[in-house]
Amino acid sequence: MTVEAYTVDGDLMTLNMGPHHPSTHGVLRLVLEVDGEVVVSCRPDLGYLHRSIEKIGEFLEYPQFVPYTDRVDYVCAMNSNHAYCLAVEQLLGSVAGSEVKIPERAEWLRILFAELNRISSHLVAVGAFAMDMGAFTPFLHGIGLRELVNDIFEKTCGARLTYNYITIGGVAADLHAGAEAEILAFCDTCEREMVRFNRLITANSIFKGRLAGVAAVSAADAVSYGLVGPNLRASGVDFDLRRDEPYGFYSRVQFEVPVGGAFAGARGRVGDSYDRFVLRCIEILESVRIVRQCLEQMPKSAAKADDPVGGWQVDANKQLRKPPRGEVYCRVENPRGETGYHVVSDGSRKPYRIKIRTGSFTAMSIFEKLVPGLMISDVVAVIGSFDIVVPEIDR
Amino acid sequence: MNGFHQSFLATAAWFSSCGLPGWLGLVLAGVVFYAVPLFAVVLPIAGLGQIFERKIAAAMQRRIGPSTTGIVGILRLTVNLALPWKAKAECNRLAERLVAFGPVALLDRLLTRTGVAQLAADGVKMIGKEDLVPSGVDGWLFRAAPYLAIAGAFLPFVVVPWSQHLVGADLSIGLVWVAAAGGLTAVAILLAGWGSNNKWTMLGGMRAVAQIVSYEIPVGLCMAAVAMWCGTLSLQQMVAAQYHPGVLSFLGWNLIQSPFMVILAGTFYLAAIAECQRTPFDTAEAESELVSGFNTEMSGLRWGMFAMAEYTETFLIGALFAVLFLGGYQSPVGEQWILSLPPLAETVIHVAIMTAKCLVAIWVMMWIRWTLPRFRIDQVMRLAWLKLVPLALVCLFGLALTMLLGARIEQVAYGRLLSAPSAQLPLIAWALSWLLAGGAIIALVVAAKRSGPPMPAALRRLTTAPARKA
Repeated sequence: MTVEAYTVDGDLMTLNMGPHHPSTHGVLRLVLEVDGEVVVSCRPDLGYLHRSIEKIGEFLEYPQFVPYTDRVDYVCAMNSNHAYCLAVEQLLGSVAGSEVKIPERAEWLRILFAELNRISSHLVAVGAFAMDMGAFTPFLHGIGLRELVNDIFEKTCGARLTYNYITIGGVAADLHAGAEAEILAFCDTCEREMVRFNRLITANSIFKGRLAGVAAVSAADAVSYGLVGPNLRASGVDFDLRRDEPYGFYSRVQFEVPVGGAFAGARGRVGDSYDRFVLRCIEILESVRIVRQCLEQMPKSAAKADDPVGGWQVDANKQLRKPPRGEVYCRVENPRGETGYHVVSDGSRKPYRIKIRTGSFTAMSIFEKLVPGLMISDVVAVIGSFDIVVPEIDR
Repeated sequence: MNGFHQSFLATAAWFSSCGLPGWLGLVLAGVVFYAVPLFAVVLPIAGLGQIFERKIAAAMQRRIGPSTTGIVGILRLTVNLALPWKAKAECNRLAERLVAFGPVALLDRLLTRTGVAQLAADGVKMIGKEDLVPSGVDGWLFRAAPYLAIAGAFLPFVVVPWSQHLVGADLSIGLVWVAAAGGLTAVAILLAGWGSNNKWTMLGGMRAVAQIVSYEIPVGLCMAAVAMWCGTLSLQQMVAAQYHPGVLSFLGWNLIQSPFMVILAGTFYLAAIAECQRTPFDTAEAESELVSGFNTEMSGLRWGMFAMAEYTETFLIGALFAVLFLGGYQSPVGEQWILSLPPLAETVIHVAIMTAKCLVAIWVMMWIRWTLPRFRIDQVMRLAWLKLVPLALVCLFGLALTMLLGARIEQVAYGRLLSAPSAQLPLIAWALSWLLAGGAIIALVVAAKRSGPPMPAALRRLTTAPARKA
């Protein structure tokens, strides 16, 4: 419930939520003006985690920037890799002769790992959100499931968080031996455990009561404030880049795009915090579906023995390759919504400019509109429900 | 214990004869005879509660919990202190040889696995921390708050009976004392919140006071109902009133005297959890909202005292719940034989039974804590005033009506319409009344569930198990 018909009649207190606060998940700072428990105004203060990643890109050769895309959003590094590599490949493909040929198996591996990473990212999102709401146990169950994904990633590409796996022209390594069975086993575990997770927290009436109708975003607002991904779909806008502008092999897999529908029942509204939470739980299951289809459709072995999965790592001249002059904007569907890489090339070995568009940054803009009138506890719910990842805001 | 009280009085008299003022003698004797044993019993139990909680949380979260710290360190320290003339390395070697010795090794293993040794390590760490008083705090309030919290948690234990003989002081106003002394905690939290000179602590303190004051009312109403039913405010007599001769002594317990009692027990339990600020009512500490609420600025031993107070309070709630509804220290079966034992044996058995009842109540509290998310402060207040207070009032009136009718029927001072089958009330009538009342409650709950909107399809999909593939 929001506090209806509330008028400000007392002195206001300025309350700094962050940059060090348990629920801002990093170093986000919200300057709140509160009257008692009720927030009167909210101003996000960004920039505490600014690392100049875009500027660094101008000093690095194209392949060297891939590890930096890991750090833009470390919760879903695979997806960020994918976005950047697609952008550079488009740039290369804009002139005949310089395009890169990506092996079919590599294309399948890309969306396979992107979807596995979406699952692990959403698990963190829903788990951490439950923790923000005061329930600690679901968080650890979510993190426990994510460990299984990390184990698979670690065996294939050697890293658990920043993978540097999807590279320009392919992927860095083929699946490790026995990976298919492991991934299938994970799919079963994930589906089984998510039911337990949802019974524990999603269907909990206290949880519903906390979130039903809190910070509802209308479809028009969601579009005009530039919300993307699950936050946009929760408001009822049926838009998913994987389906509407398929990149990679997403056109070859079947999946549903869930949209928000006042899941909390009578007191719920379309686009409220609970919808955003439930939507991520559903997307986990849809991603499991995609992972299963990838494993079924993927060619069982690589086409060329010496170059199983493509990628510039086998290209002896990779440091010397120069994309043609021009610019390209490539967007993909990240767990946190549309992530766009705008790469400008002046024909040299280094990009002239890289601009990254991230979902968390645009989500910050709606806070000033949503938060006033809510209580302090609800601010935490709003931050959690938008699945903010601070390094993605500041870059 | 009568002899105990006499020695207390004798010691007080001896202090006075030494030239101390009479009141000081009483206070000193009270410290020696009541406070020290109380702390000696309750402190370790409260500490164990903390380990208990960590282990339970770990089990619910697929972790192991504290399982590494053993007693080698404690032994080293002890040996070093005991043999100061020996070199440190030699003492350490001795301690390690001691730990390798069979029974000690077994003990070490036990304490390690159960996490009990971790308690000592945590305690030493806490005591060793810097006594940090942030600049700008209100020194007096900031320093006084932890002591008040401890006092508020321990003082109610004075009247809690552990056996027929073991009770700090069997006050005739026992329940009132519990409510009054327990109220100190609210003051402590407010002082900590206000005195810390921090906006988060202040919000936490304000929340805590609003919440504690609100939940005092349903708790008080439940206590009043039970006191009315048993006809006494003394906890010892309340236990005695639940005595039932015969093998099935649990038939005398308040909990099963009337369906109203069951509702009262539930209300009391919920409200008591809220009063001691545990999840789902931990709005005052609310780690994810208010950083750490009222004790954000507390560190080291000050924080430790608040933590100790919290666990002692959960223990108090367990004890109160046992006394009010579960027959106190009485055994569920064969109480009459225990009563006929010599005092020492009776006390040991009763303390064990009481502790077991407390532990069950605490375990449920922890189960709730590690399962549920937190209410928002306005929901917490709404629950108190719109749900629990009316519920407790209805039950209070229901019990009063029962007693009135019972008195008419049975022509006794306070009859029990739905009480255990006795000569006056045949078994069939007793069973029927329970069936009727229980059926009505179940029907109400089912109707309330049905009246809600159906579960959205998306949620139903999320919460049903996927179809097994052949």
